[in-house]
Amino acid sequence: MSATAAVSDLGTRARLAVAGAAALFLSAGALALTGSTDVLLAVLALLFEKSTLAAALRLSVPIAFAALGGIFAEKSGVINIGLEGLLIVSAFGGVYVTSITGSVWLGLLGGVAVSTLLALLFAIVCIEFRADQIIAGLAIWLIALGLAPFASTVVFGSTNASAGTTFPSIGRLLANSGLPVVSTAGVAALDALAGVPFFGALFEASPMVYLMFVAVGASWWTLNRTSFGRWVHASGENPKALDTAGVRVSRVRYAAVLLSGVLAGVGGAALSLSLGQFVGNGPTMVNGKGFIAIVTYLLGNYNPVGALLSTLLFAGLDALQLSLQGQNVLAIPRPLVRTIPYVSVIVVLALFGKTRLPEAAGEHYESGEE
Amino acid sequence: MRRRQMTDDDAGAGGPLDDGDAGSSAPSVRDRAFDALDRLVAASATERLLISGSALLLSIAIGFLLILAAGRMTSCGSAAYSLLGVGFCYDPFLVYDSLFLGAFGDFLANPLNGQFATTVSETTVLVFTGIAVAVAFKAGVFNIGGQGQLVFGALASALVVYGVSGAVSGLVGTLVLVSVGLATGAFVGGIWGAIPGALKAYADANEVITTIMLNFVATSFALYLASGPFKDPESFANQTRTLPEFALFPQPLFPGRTDASLLALALAITVAVGIAYLLRGTSFGYDVRTSGIQPEAAEYGGVDAARTVVASMALSGALAGLGGAVYVFTIAGNFQTGVPDYGFDGITVSILAGNNPVAAIAAALLFGVLKSGSIVVDVGTDVPPELVGVLRGLIVLFVAMPEFFRMIGERVDVRDRLGGSRDAVATDGGEEA
Repeated sequence: MSATAAVSDLGTRARLAVAGAAALFLSAGALALTGSTDVLLAVLALLFEKSTLAAALRLSVPIAFAALGGIFAEKSGVINIGLEGLLIVSAFGGVYVTSITGSVWLGLLGGVAVSTLLALLFAIVCIEFRADQIIAGLAIWLIALGLAPFASTVVFGSTNASAGTTFPSIGRLLANSGLPVVSTAGVAALDALAGVPFFGALFEASPMVYLMFVAVGASWWTLNRTSFGRWVHASGENPKALDTAGVRVSRVRYAAVLLSGVLAGVGGAALSLSLGQFVGNGPTMVNGKGFIAIVTYLLGNYNPVGALLSTLLFAGLDALQLSLQGQNVLAIPRPLVRTIPYVSVIVVLALFGKTRLPEAAGEHYESGEE
Repeated sequence: MRRRQMTDDDAGAGGPLDDGDAGSSAPSVRDRAFDALDRLVAASATERLLISGSALLLSIAIGFLLILAAGRMTSCGSAAYSLLGVGFCYDPFLVYDSLFLGAFGDFLANPLNGQFATTVSETTVLVFTGIAVAVAFKAGVFNIGGQGQLVFGALASALVVYGVSGAVSGLVGTLVLVSVGLATGAFVGGIWGAIPGALKAYADANEVITTIMLNFVATSFALYLASGPFKDPESFANQTRTLPEFALFPQPLFPGRTDASLLALALAITVAVGIAYLLRGTSFGYDVRTSGIQPEAAEYGGVDAARTVVASMALSGALAGLGGAVYVFTIAGNFQTGVPDYGFDGITVSILAGNNPVAAIAAALLFGVLKSGSIVVDVGTDVPPELVGVLRGLIVLFVAMPEFFRMIGERVDVRDRLGGSRDAVATDGGEEA
């Protein structure tokens, strides 16, 4: 057991290393095309700026949460390609509830609730009615793509909506906590640490960034150290054995898909509430993050930590392209710079496309009892 | 030899592949097998029609509730509709009336009215994107990249036709330009479709993800071209130069620029029928279908599965690109950023049609009506036209769960008439039609 885990971990690490190298190589190649070392240095300097790390962490949150959700669902045997849709509805749900209640935390709960409901619909359709998981997942995305702007227009009169507030910084959260030592010394320490170049970004991030790290740890623990984690694994690899052991496969799958709804819901609400608004025109503000999440956990070999690392890789590229757009370092036009994350996803998939899906993923399992 | 044998029972889609026994023995056995298959296909087609019809009705019913719910969430001066003493801001009947009947305009008084023209032209583009998705589905590939392929096809044909339009004129000019434009759209769309095909065939990269990513890339790239190098200098919008009138698709019936060309529709229908023949009656179609249903068996039967995947994705992309060219020629008159979601609607069209190219014509008409009707809804009611987007998703969802309707069917005991075949639309080929 531990031996295989170690091997797969090693595999994950190797894949990530190669993926990182490939990403660097690609960016370097793109820069070489522009033909100037000054530009290369400028980009490298940007890469190690505090604001880039801050942006990478912020951009990681929705992708990482969706990826964690995807891991649970897919490991249990239900490929949840509807993560994008879950992110979209929770991004709107979060803004909607926040605008009514005035509390981002209730908004977060609202987003999670909406996303979980949609995940429940997906679960029923896939598990009860044996729908093709890919098509049903796609339907979830399409429904969300229509429903969120529809609801936004009904409630706010426009496909874009404002929540009126955003998440407080971790410093303000501590300052307002009212705890005797923490509210003063803690804030001072955070201020000091935030001054550190580059890594300072770790100490002045949104609370959702810390929640992301907690969620990654908790997911790893749940998957590897609890009996629920073992059931999820068995439900995807060998549902018959799980059934024989007296655990209802469909129940495990329901739990895993609902969990993916909860996690993606946190990610979607965090996305919109960290900006304080929902953008619903075109592909909405989610803009493919749910699909990128799928690639990150495939690249991370269904390991939450691996998924987080590959998320940071993609989010880092995205952060870099945002800084590049903002600072006009490159002569490349903005719409082209914007394609960097998507192109890198394709390159990564082409290099590491051969992921081993869980044995029974995508298949309906019917218990022999009925 | 082996291939020939398999052809005999390949139509048994879903049935056991008993390796050509039926084919090699007496013709009577073969005939009986074909009879059985014919019955199976017929039963399955009826069943499909039932499933698609029920999915549509169920989606409309849920949309009805959604309109009522939305009508409670918004505020208005006086209730537009009331049910059981509760007032609602939106009237679902009025909405559906606008959506479905509005799309035909005042059809009885003037069949060539502008609204119906819109319906016809939307339908035409949707036929192309619908069969594009269907062709890929048949090969077991899920092409979600129709949107990107259409965008590039539209952009390329708009640019090339503009470039050539100076050199020709008159009726001959129209013929030349329309053919050049269609060929360009198909070619560029085909290449953009072949990329994810090759990535799937040779690098095992999941086409669902790569095609979606390529949509984002295509949209951004098209934005760059239409806002930069090829921008119409006389316009504020991100669009290419408008094509001269004679370069557009001829519109002999619909007067003036009412945006509909029955010739384009005829072309779409011809292509759909041609694709149906290609899939049913040619060895390429046979390769495509067997790779979709049973990739291992196809390989065993001598089909180069990798090449088939690339070829069918290229064909799929070419059809979507053709749709893009037709969009430019009949609707837009140039390339503009913010192309409507024809690619995604194509997925719904194909799924609703059970991946049958000819049935896709009917499904495209339905979605042409919905798209055109959503404009009427937008103008005539306060209900956001995004409603159609929700309906689209619901229809896909319900068609994906035939088991739901079978369970209901069992209750009302029509199951015996339907036969027991269980092959619904699925990503592994979605066989049968």
